[in-house]
Amino acid sequence: MSFFLKKINLKGKTTLITGATKGLGRGTAQAIAEAGGDVIAIGRNQSELNSLGKIIKKLRVKYTSFNCDVNNFNRIKSFISKLKKLDILVNNAGTNIPESFLNVKKSSLETLLDVNTKSAFNIAQLCANQIIRLKRKQGSIINISSIFGLVAGQKRTVYSMTKFGVEGLTKGMALDLAKHNIRVNSVCPNIVLTPRTKKYFADKKYNKYVKENTPIHKVVTVSDVATAVTFLASDASSMITGSSVVIDGGWTAK
Amino acid sequence: MLKKINLKNKIALVTGAGKGLGKACSIALAEAGAKVIILSRTKSDLIKVSKIIKKTKGSCKAFVCDVTNVQEFKNILKKISRLDILVNNAGNNRPEHFTKVKRENMEYLTNLNMKAAFNVAQLCSQKMVKAKNRKRIGGSIIHMSSQLGKVGCEGRNVYNMNKFGIEGLARGMAVELAPYNIRVNTVCPTFVETPMVKKFFKNKKFKKQMLSNIPLGRVAKESDVATAVAFLAGETSEMITGTSLVVDGGWTAK
Repeated sequence: MSFFLKKINLKGKTTLITGATKGLGRGTAQAIAEAGGDVIAIGRNQSELNSLGKIIKKLRVKYTSFNCDVNNFNRIKSFISKLKKLDILVNNAGTNIPESFLNVKKSSLETLLDVNTKSAFNIAQLCANQIIRLKRKQGSIINISSIFGLVAGQKRTVYSMTKFGVEGLTKGMALDLAKHNIRVNSVCPNIVLTPRTKKYFADKKYNKYVKENTPIHKVVTVSDVATAVTFLASDASSMITGSSVVIDGGWTAK
Repeated sequence: MLKKINLKNKIALVTGAGKGLGKACSIALAEAGAKVIILSRTKSDLIKVSKIIKKTKGSCKAFVCDVTNVQEFKNILKKISRLDILVNNAGNNRPEHFTKVKRENMEYLTNLNMKAAFNVAQLCSQKMVKAKNRKRIGGSIIHMSSQLGKVGCEGRNVYNMNKFGIEGLARGMAVELAPYNIRVNTVCPTFVETPMVKKFFKNKKFKKQMLSNIPLGRVAKESDVATAVAFLAGETSEMITGTSLVVDGGWTAK
């Protein structure tokens, strides 16, 4: 018997995850499946999509994968518009090229805006439309943001610009989609140890910088973020929308 | 990958536990496996909450206590062996237009919502840091704040002042208690179906006006808030500190 504690349960729900082959996306796909939800994974590496499939299928949920670059609008559109089931989007694909402001290359700026901003927008719009078209009556979209969507960091001007943008998008989407009972939130993790950030942490100075700025003095794990995302995906958070769950060990509290 | 909301072997204290959100939080924490210590001024309310907790096979201890009485609260803490979680919930509201706020109401609300909240948090923190294994097992303090800790609202100026204050307190505490691995966060609900709010909503015009401010078009349920508190109480939120979980159906996203 449960009176007041809602369970994190995604049985019967289908979640699309972009950037699903590595790091946060991969961990989140796994967490979603552990909560009983079916997974649609989008990524660019076929062997990693296959190996993720093996893990997900062991959890007895459905797994579909689609090998595609999120920047390829036409292919993504045609895939999403053919989906028969969709309830949740984890809008995760993103990248970073740390450069100090004065030296940001035009190509880096364009790459980050393409992936973190434009593709994130397009995929969110396509999925929201599909959830409405399928008459699912409820939905949840989680944009993977960052502490750099809330505060600045060294060599993070472009990244901050794109992630502050995602924070704004989240709030705007939440208002426009509320009448369809589609909730929209972001998660803002501190720097998580993933294959992409491994190279940053290899630098001793960077390692020290992260630790010193994190009052809890631990590095955020993929599981910390995946758990928060799964909570936001589920009915356990049915009144949370237009908001951010900050997973930063106190970084932005200072 | 997915961490479950599980509070086995944790001892939680909830103030204002007799009614509304405090009651819901106490029961939800017990459902998640915590031993719960419930405090309220009203003995008959404590008996009712204890009965529900026992029905869920949970365990609790009840104490009659007015949290504005520091000595009374200190005496109760002496009877408790250990404390891992505090839900700093006791609070009240007396809506009045700013120019009409009675001095006695301002003092009553500030004494309860700020002074008592501070004292309870400080005394509990002092108890929590004494546990030798605190750093390993961690601790969690959750302040019951409000969406009105984030934005203003007519007739809520004192409540706004109190709850914005709590938001500040939470961040300061988070930074100072991080070395002990004690996390401090707030939950910011919109209007919730509680006895207090039901009273306000007897005014139909007010109800309509408030609902039109919640994009999801509904008030929160007690279980929505209690589940958020349970999420913040345990290892599901291991790296979340110094932040707010906003359960407001989009009110503050506007």
